[in-house]
Amino acid sequence: MRRLGFVLGVAALTVAAGSVPGAATGRFDQKLSKDKQVLHVLNRLAFGPRPGDVDRVRRLGVEKWIRQQLQPQLIAEDPVVNARLKPLASLQLATWQIYETYQPPAPPVLASVVPPARPLERLVSAEQFQKLSTGSAEERLAVIGAIPSENLGPVLAALTPKMLEGLPETQKLADKARQTEMARQQLVVRSGVSVTSLNNLLTAEQRRVTQQGSVEERRALLMSLDAPTRKQVLRALPPPALSGIPELQREALAARQPQVFVNQELIDSRVYRALYSNRQLEEVLVDFWLNHFNVFNGKGPARMLLTSYERDAIRPFVLGRFRDLLLATARHPAMLFYLDNWQSQAPRDDIPPSPNNPRRPGLNENYGRELMELHTLGVDGGYTQDDVIAVARAFTGWTIYDPNRIAEFQFNPAFHDRKEKRVLGHTIPAGGGEQDGIQVIDILARHPSTARFISRKLAQRFVADDPPPSLVDRMAKTFTATGGDLRSVMETMLTSREFMSEGAWQAKLKSPLEMVLSSVRALGADVTDTTALAQRIAELGQPLYGKAEPTGYSTTADAWESSAGFLGRINFAGALAAGKIEGVKVDEAGLPNTGEAAARRLLGAAVSPATRSRLENGASQSLSPASLAAVVIASPDFQRR
Amino acid sequence: MLTRRSFLRTSAIALGAAGAAPTWLLRTAAQGKSGRKVLVAIFQRGAADGLNVVVPFFEPRYYQVRPSIAIPQPGKPNGGLDLDGRFALHPALQPLKTLWDSRQLAIVHAAGSPDASRSHFDAQDFMECGTPGLKREDGWLNRALTPVAPDSSPVRAIASGTQLPKTLQGSRGAIAVDSLPRFQVADKSTADVLEHLYSSSLDGQLKAQGKATFDAIKLIESVRTRPYTPAAGVQYAGEFGQRLQQIARLIKADVGVEVAFADIGGWDHHSNETGQLTNQLRQFGSSLAAFTQDLGDRMEDVVIVTMSEFGRTVNENGNAGTDHGHGNVMMVVGGGVRGGRIYGEWPGLEPEQLFERRDLAVTTDFRDVLGELVSGHLGQTVTQVFPGYTPRMSLGLLNA
Repeated sequence: MRRLGFVLGVAALTVAAGSVPGAATGRFDQKLSKDKQVLHVLNRLAFGPRPGDVDRVRRLGVEKWIRQQLQPQLIAEDPVVNARLKPLASLQLATWQIYETYQPPAPPVLASVVPPARPLERLVSAEQFQKLSTGSAEERLAVIGAIPSENLGPVLAALTPKMLEGLPETQKLADKARQTEMARQQLVVRSGVSVTSLNNLLTAEQRRVTQQGSVEERRALLMSLDAPTRKQVLRALPPPALSGIPELQREALAARQPQVFVNQELIDSRVYRALYSNRQLEEVLVDFWLNHFNVFNGKGPARMLLTSYERDAIRPFVLGRFRDLLLATARHPAMLFYLDNWQSQAPRDDIPPSPNNPRRPGLNENYGRELMELHTLGVDGGYTQDDVIAVARAFTGWTIYDPNRIAEFQFNPAFHDRKEKRVLGHTIPAGGGEQDGIQVIDILARHPSTARFISRKLAQRFVADDPPPSLVDRMAKTFTATGGDLRSVMETMLTSREFMSEGAWQAKLKSPLEMVLSSVRALGADVTDTTALAQRIAELGQPLYGKAEPTGYSTTADAWESSAGFLGRINFAGALAAGKIEGVKVDEAGLPNTGEAAARRLLGAAVSPATRSRLENGASQSLSPASLAAVVIASPDFQRR
Repeated sequence: MLTRRSFLRTSAIALGAAGAAPTWLLRTAAQGKSGRKVLVAIFQRGAADGLNVVVPFFEPRYYQVRPSIAIPQPGKPNGGLDLDGRFALHPALQPLKTLWDSRQLAIVHAAGSPDASRSHFDAQDFMECGTPGLKREDGWLNRALTPVAPDSSPVRAIASGTQLPKTLQGSRGAIAVDSLPRFQVADKSTADVLEHLYSSSLDGQLKAQGKATFDAIKLIESVRTRPYTPAAGVQYAGEFGQRLQQIARLIKADVGVEVAFADIGGWDHHSNETGQLTNQLRQFGSSLAAFTQDLGDRMEDVVIVTMSEFGRTVNENGNAGTDHGHGNVMMVVGGGVRGGRIYGEWPGLEPEQLFERRDLAVTTDFRDVLGELVSGHLGQTVTQVFPGYTPRMSLGLLNA
């Protein structure tokens, strides 16, 4: 009987072949059932459903929910988000404040800031000074002899050669005193800039506690120190001393690696918002546009610039006008630095090119090329190498003021190429300045290739890897008709029949970021520290802000298909469900204890017949609830959205 | 007692044996020590200082412009190891000197990319893609594989590390193996169920990916459970040594490895270069030598090639270090290599001979070196591996 059941099961599988995801284009005309619609929009406009989301959206109605998500400013935010973001102080700061707070300039080791020796006039009375300047040898010796011992050293060091004339013994003492004084000054300077050793900061007993104390003992000790002392101690402590105390690990990071710390707070905010924000579409779009206008945190001081970049150049514009978003990124120091435009200068015809360097010295084409290839027209958008050079020339002068301290946009006329430029058939007359770049922005934002390129990229993210041309065409028309209003374009897409069709159903492979976030959301896990989670996302190949290439992370399946990634996903699912990811708490008691319940709770309408049959037919009966949850999250069904 | 669960398992295995036995396994078993050629690519990330690795001690200028960091002449204290009367190896590379003497080590000096970028990540990307000046989604070593066939071994292309490098990304399957012990489903109780879920998935892409993953896991398990000790006297040093040991173990296990990759960082010596470079080279040289000793006779079929994204400035800077440069050293090691000689045209160190008056010029394109190896050793077409490039010279790195 069992054998028959097994064979029937296999037969059922082969019969159910109709539901191969993402197949023929005719399927983009087949509307999704209501149940599937609910899950579909939660997988596309959000980072996957949390417990209860499916019911909420079904009750509200899918169309209404989509309309709400398109107006994030009207959505009340989840208090959990605000609670998680509140302690992240760097998020609200301007770049210059970030520099000032976390990476103040090191005191220079220069003679001029060495505290000057106290002048002689301050050490002796006026009468004594008079005698030392003009008195006889005996008189001078008498004055020196009367100096109290605590001042004797500095006084001797300050005596001029004239004052020491005829007093050879005193001269020797004065030489010694001068050396001591110099050494004292150098010690003051050095201790300011070096990592003070723990021996100078803690008593032997305190040091013992840091080495051998329990978590509570170590925490109590470190919190008992005043902030400046603790900062120095944290700089010098070896990592094991901080194990089990994540808040102090963060503080140590701020002391040791301020740039990494600042970026870590930004990563925190991304993860917390993606996990808990009610404005899910906005978060998905922030991810999309940050990727489109990629900036790599590993280049130079970019980490210090990214907080402002996301907050000021990306977030405000994700449902606004594309032209405004484009201009904001073009002007932002993060982009100016990342694509080298800040160093780009008018080509100098007075410097002959050398055989080893045929390129014109001064002009940097990187931004000019990527602006057209990646940000607007697309690689086949119809620009030439001449256009690249002309665009680069237009943006000369767009640079950064005081990059390591203030880091604000500055237009430097000395860098700017004022000659005439021809860009995509438009003439930018000679004699322009900052306006040249803005004109290029307008030309590119209005170009028909841009409307198509942006529309297609959005459709790839939200509909399918190879989106139906009919949909892309209509989105591009909306783009052009509205002057690049992204909300309108999104609306055209999200209310289209292609979006809500069988062709789009489960058509996308989740990126590592999407897989991790949707897993945590599906389990309803409580995240209080994102470090380990962010580490996992990086290990799966998608470190936040960590894409070196300006192309950003791929939005299609082929980049994520390497089998290294799948073992990583499987093991991530196992660790997550078992509560082994630090900072992520899963309510194990609340996990479903049958395969069928796990599939229903975690996959919902997305469960395939194959998965359901495996999980219902007792193959997984002996698995613990955590392992069941891990299997569902690692299953092929869960890798799609 | 025959439980439903154990029944399912045995029937699944029976199904497997009946129709879908991995043919690569059968083929490999038949071939045994088949003489399969293996190419191992090593990337020194951070721009290694080639001029201090293979020292042009015959150039007086070298000593003039590197007063505190130049490697002393052979014979002097801490002096280089004389190779041919003109060039010497850094003294920490004694293990490589042995390979040189036995003619298994070839050196190409003043090699590199025609692209002038001095950005680490751009230049690394260009070199890994094999297309200087252009970034692609796939790497040269992936393109150097034959297209995926049903009987391709799941471990024919491996990167020893946590991430799959750009060099190995692409349409031909490649996997990153961080640690052999960890290359398995950690929660054993779920492994079987998951394997069944993927193999019965109607999603073609995921089914294929799942199959590749679980095949690799099984294969690596069979390697892992075989007792392994390196060949007598072989000692691998440091993390880089561990990476190479992993590759050696997989090659010796005859599971179908064709290409392998490992990288070693920490070469970006902008200040206080001398001590840091010595430490790096100790690990680098001893690990490479250990690898060749461990493979023993198999080195007849194995070629190792080393590269770095660019070299460093000819002059030292004000911090007893060097800055980003251009031309660099590539090394080629193997039983079939025409070793014991220095290849490439030496451009000289006079200011007018330098690239942009600061760096060692490039006289051999790195694609000439790699191209010769992918065609002569792996039997692939150079233009397929390096699109848009016509090899300019034949170096003669391999024995006929």
